Amino acid sequence: MSSRSNILAPHGVRVPLMGNEAIARGLIEADVKVLVGYPGTPSSEVIMTIQPYSRELDIYVEWAVNERVALEIALGASITGVRSMATMKAPGLNVASDPLLSAAYCGVERGLVVLVADDPGPHTTQTEQDSRWYSKLAKLPMISPSNPQEAKDFTKIAFEISEELKLPVILRTTTRVNHTVSDVVLGEIKKTLQEPRIPRDESRFVRAGMLWNLERHKWLNSRLQLVEDIASKYSINSSIGEGQLCVITEGVAYDYVVESLEELGLLSEVKVIKLGLLYPASRKFLLENLASCKSILIVEELDPYLEEQVKIILYENGILIPVYGKVTGHIPLEGELNKYIVKRALTSLAKGIPQQVSLLEKTPVSPRDVPPRPPPLCPGCPHRFSFIALKTALSKKGYKLSEVPIFGDIGCYALAVYPPISMLWTEHSMGASISMAIGAKIAGYHKPVVAVIGDSTFYHAGIQPLLEAVNKGVDLLVVILDNDVVAMTGHQSTPAWRVSESGRVLRPISIEGIVRALNPDLVITLDPYNLDEMISAVTDAISKPGVKVIIAKHPCALLERRRRVFENKYYVEESTCKGCKACIITTGCPAIVIENNVARILIEDCNGCGLCARYCPYKAIKQLARSVNS
Amino acid sequence: MKRVVNILIASVGGQGGLTLSRIIARAAILEGYSVKTAETLGMAQRYGSVMGLIRVGSSVKSPLFDPGEADYILGLELTETLRRLHYVSSSGLVIVADEYKPSYTQSVTHPSLKTEDIILEIKSLWPRTIIVPARKLAEKAGSVRALNVVILGAFNAISNLLSTGSIKTAIREVLTEQAALTSIKAYELGYSYSQQAL
Repeated sequence: MSSRSNILAPHGVRVPLMGNEAIARGLIEADVKVLVGYPGTPSSEVIMTIQPYSRELDIYVEWAVNERVALEIALGASITGVRSMATMKAPGLNVASDPLLSAAYCGVERGLVVLVADDPGPHTTQTEQDSRWYSKLAKLPMISPSNPQEAKDFTKIAFEISEELKLPVILRTTTRVNHTVSDVVLGEIKKTLQEPRIPRDESRFVRAGMLWNLERHKWLNSRLQLVEDIASKYSINSSIGEGQLCVITEGVAYDYVVESLEELGLLSEVKVIKLGLLYPASRKFLLENLASCKSILIVEELDPYLEEQVKIILYENGILIPVYGKVTGHIPLEGELNKYIVKRALTSLAKGIPQQVSLLEKTPVSPRDVPPRPPPLCPGCPHRFSFIALKTALSKKGYKLSEVPIFGDIGCYALAVYPPISMLWTEHSMGASISMAIGAKIAGYHKPVVAVIGDSTFYHAGIQPLLEAVNKGVDLLVVILDNDVVAMTGHQSTPAWRVSESGRVLRPISIEGIVRALNPDLVITLDPYNLDEMISAVTDAISKPGVKVIIAKHPCALLERRRRVFENKYYVEESTCKGCKACIITTGCPAIVIENNVARILIEDCNGCGLCARYCPYKAIKQLARSVNS
Repeated sequence: MKRVVNILIASVGGQGGLTLSRIIARAAILEGYSVKTAETLGMAQRYGSVMGLIRVGSSVKSPLFDPGEADYILGLELTETLRRLHYVSSSGLVIVADEYKPSYTQSVTHPSLKTEDIILEIKSLWPRTIIVPARKLAEKAGSVRALNVVILGAFNAISNLLSTGSIKTAIREVLTEQAALTSIKAYELGYSYSQQAL
């Protein structure tokens, strides 16, 4: 979203950058050569920001098929002597965890930084996963910025630390850092000599030798002893103020703490300790800074991670002062923090401050009970056709919708869970639709089961489950909803594309080709816009034995709209509309609204699919003359 | 200017709430201010409920502010503005488009509601509200999609937070050339509308 003039501006200029754009600029300043990842909110914009300048900056920047492949590519590049980064959202690190743990044993040559974006809230993630635990599990240094400026600066520091330690470093962010826009002062773009060269050292790179593994584990533990001293050169930990109450915090929570103290007039009475290094623990720094503290409040998002770290250090050093935080209920265990929560905790602990009954009392208007507006499938979305076809076909075959489970997967089509489509029973983890459907069948469920999975999710993690289904001869209908793009995360490329966003010529990988190679009992490719064809395909396939795969192929409506020269539009003839709501109750299309008991189509939102017209019993929905798309 | 000005943008995904946030952030930085925004994007936010927060001042720390702290609520849609109205501060001002895009649930459960009903509800809850005929002005400028910038014009005429020159520069940087031309017209129409309304 940010312009070239911002991303590539010279040293010293102050520009507005989103946290992810700031990380991208940090990568440019650090002269990174390989940048790979898999789309996932809130991490995606790092790669998207650099893609247009890939050639001019001579950076390999591409989406990989999944996160583990991305991390392995970045590791391979790093041990070949070039700086690399792999980006992912929190659940992506679960996918990449296997190579991550082994990477701690072999270490790196040039810097390798793994960006993982957590999502307290959560805003767009299936769990409130706290990826800080991964640093402890994988025994890898982790650093965490508080704002876009630090996001840029810490990215560079992460590469320096990685090279000094010869270990991968995890750069951990949260949504309010990734997606906050702020003024950022740019640094120097420094070119470094990076010669591709692979050191041959079996004891380091081959994990088949158990004695080697034991030695590397000792090596890893010895490296971890050095982290705090190395990190301290870059001043990523800091503290302000003095007082008997000490607040320990990290990430965006630091800004909530400082601003809350300012507003409560307590800034001069409380000491605030901000940790940029999250693993290993900053033992020396903390002991030095906690010397004058009589009690501690830990303000952190997600799990009591720092709380455990601090308590261990206090115990080891025989310091018995009260520690407040999540365990004591001062800071909640779920959801994201804000100033209100932080102020509540501070006022309950700081002496001499009258307890505020409710900080929300200052709102002059009380919150209104407005019906929720979850994101729906877009106007013209091909998935809407697919789900309506499924619904119609199941009814035609005499099944109740309550007896045919639809196992869903991760992508826009999961929005079909909401009324009026209401056709999704599960959405679990990447690729789980097919595997969980297999489980339901082998558990003995005797009615048909359906798995729906998107094209990118199929490439990412759906191929092996389909292989499993065919191999074990499970009776299953798989519908691959192929809209030719990773839609939900902002329209990234898939392996089906001919040219990537950075201009690389790709050899397209056909979904039908992959499916046919797995040899299921039936393969049909169709366009769900041909609704009757899809209804009859599902009707025919649903109760047949074996694995049936229907590939419902139609581009994402938003992509198609951009490519089109002519636009279809529909409108409601007001005098004919009876206000029966059939159009909206059948389709749930957000381009249709009911006002004053009459349906209306918002012309700028209509994508001209015509599905609503099909379901209007009074023929009140009509097509406008085709117009040129401006 | 007070130390930090808090602005909330209430919109339906696809209306350009995030673009508006970007334009304000850019213009504020051109004027030498410090800025933080909090945006919720991803996960097909199109047509979902979107809230954007922008904070402008000499030194801004937290990207979030609490209910009761918005100096301005810029509403691109009436229902979404109603949903966020508890963010308005006791001296706050609401500037909202006369645009009614009810959600699926609202269309089905309250089919008889009209634009005027929501306007009345907002005004009765918060009299310091300016209703802008934003769709009409955006169409006049050349595109309904410029509705967001009409509201920006209406806001800036009242707040005088940013210079028109900085806003125009920011619009040219954030938008494509054609969209920028339309948006600058839309900005001016919004600006003169609220000047006359005052």
